[in-house]
Amino acid sequence: MAEENAVNSNALLAVGIIGGLLGIYLVGINSLIGPLLACLGGICAIVWGANAIRTVAGYGLGTGVPSIGYMCLAIGIIGGLSGLALTLVPALSGFVMLGPVFALIIAMVLGFIVAVVVKKIVGMKIPVLLRCTTEIAGAAALSVIAFSVALAGAYDINSISAAVLIPGYIVLFFILNTMAIQEPFNACLGPNEDQKRTLTLAVANGFLAICVVGLLLIPSGFVSLLVIIVGVIGWICSYRKFLKMSNEAAASVKWSGLWPKTEDQ
Amino acid sequence: MLDPISLIIFIAVGGVLIGAGVHFIPVGGAPAAMATATGVGTGTAMLAAGAGMTGLVTAASMTGQPMILVVLAGAIGAMLMMGFTMLIANYIYVYGCGVVPASAKVDNDPITGRNQEIYCTPGTEGHGIPTVCFVSGIIGSLMGGAGGGLIYYVVNNAATNASFITTPIEAAALAAIIAISVYFINSVIASYNIGGTIEGFHDPKFKKIGRGFAACLIASILCAILCVLILGGI
Repeated sequence: MAEENAVNSNALLAVGIIGGLLGIYLVGINSLIGPLLACLGGICAIVWGANAIRTVAGYGLGTGVPSIGYMCLAIGIIGGLSGLALTLVPALSGFVMLGPVFALIIAMVLGFIVAVVVKKIVGMKIPVLLRCTTEIAGAAALSVIAFSVALAGAYDINSISAAVLIPGYIVLFFILNTMAIQEPFNACLGPNEDQKRTLTLAVANGFLAICVVGLLLIPSGFVSLLVIIVGVIGWICSYRKFLKMSNEAAASVKWSGLWPKTEDQ
Repeated sequence: MLDPISLIIFIAVGGVLIGAGVHFIPVGGAPAAMATATGVGTGTAMLAAGAGMTGLVTAASMTGQPMILVVLAGAIGAMLMMGFTMLIANYIYVYGCGVVPASAKVDNDPITGRNQEIYCTPGTEGHGIPTVCFVSGIIGSLMGGAGGGLIYYVVNNAATNASFITTPIEAAALAAIIAISVYFINSVIASYNIGGTIEGFHDPKFKKIGRGFAACLIASILCAILCVLILGGI
């Protein structure tokens, strides 16, 4: 795409990876603040993923924006779970700490290989497909793990399995994070699509998603309220900003009734 | 108990069944939503989610039964969901939009032999879901549902002795999420192969199935290897 990006993709990549991993690793510092930080890390990953979706779907996939979102979330979950499970291998049993990093790397590698398969065998002619599929898969893995870690309170596979896999919340995170990552561009696409506006919507979606995580945290007590309050405040602020940007970009705004009957050329 | 090699083979077979099944399903995309193309008016990802997850629910209801029952249950669930989707979509097209189901890709319906061309509105790619597309969609969802059910069965079976799995319900949950993930990956790869929209087995695009087959096979084998890793089979 010829247009200049207001926010650099590499900067967003760094925000996504560093913010996401930081949130995941800081979950253990405090039973109150930890899950909130993990949720905020998940938002960083969601914004990163939304930017990657915007880049790749801007070329027109032919199958709709959600398709690549679902595919990459699926890759992210398989890659993420296998990365976390890797720490169960006896040779790596001392490296539970590295589980989320393994998860990120495996998801990105799987995303890259699937993108190569799609490009070489199926013949998709999108130049940024490799980079973006890899990025979205990584963002998907990080966001799902961040939300799972917020629920589990730890990042080893056994805790996550007990807190997220058995109750089936992982399927909820699959759809929730797909929506949060693919919806911003799907909603904003068009000739005057603007990166800042799309990413603002991604932030709003992220805060809305952590409200759901907050609801799931209710059995854990007060931390649930904290996450929901932060989520609601964040959502109101970011969504207001999104509405303001949309109004500024619109030719005119009418809240009700039909279009005005203007005769001017 | 399944050894890792047969686990990989079964997941690859399931993945290829899903990928091949998508080629049969009449996916119309956005044009079909406006009744200007044949098929169900939504993308592959949505149809895969609907049919795949219903198939998974029915397959999971057969947990503990022999493989053939689980696979058949998955296939029937997906076929039912697909059948209802196409039937209700047809009602909306016929009674809501006022168009007759007609295919633009063939002159005569290969199954009923009825003429399609004269019913096709000029400037459109057909509309609604004619008989051949409906039958094709049922065949596709049979394959997809069976593939999903097969993956669910083998992962559930293998998960019962995975290192971090302690209860049968955990094995079922893990099997479900892996089956859904493999389902989505393969269905989206297949939909990239068909370029978004297809009418069914009579569509010229259906000839591309070989490439989709190869791509889904590679992707499924990769997923299967990671599944073995998740299950701690190495």
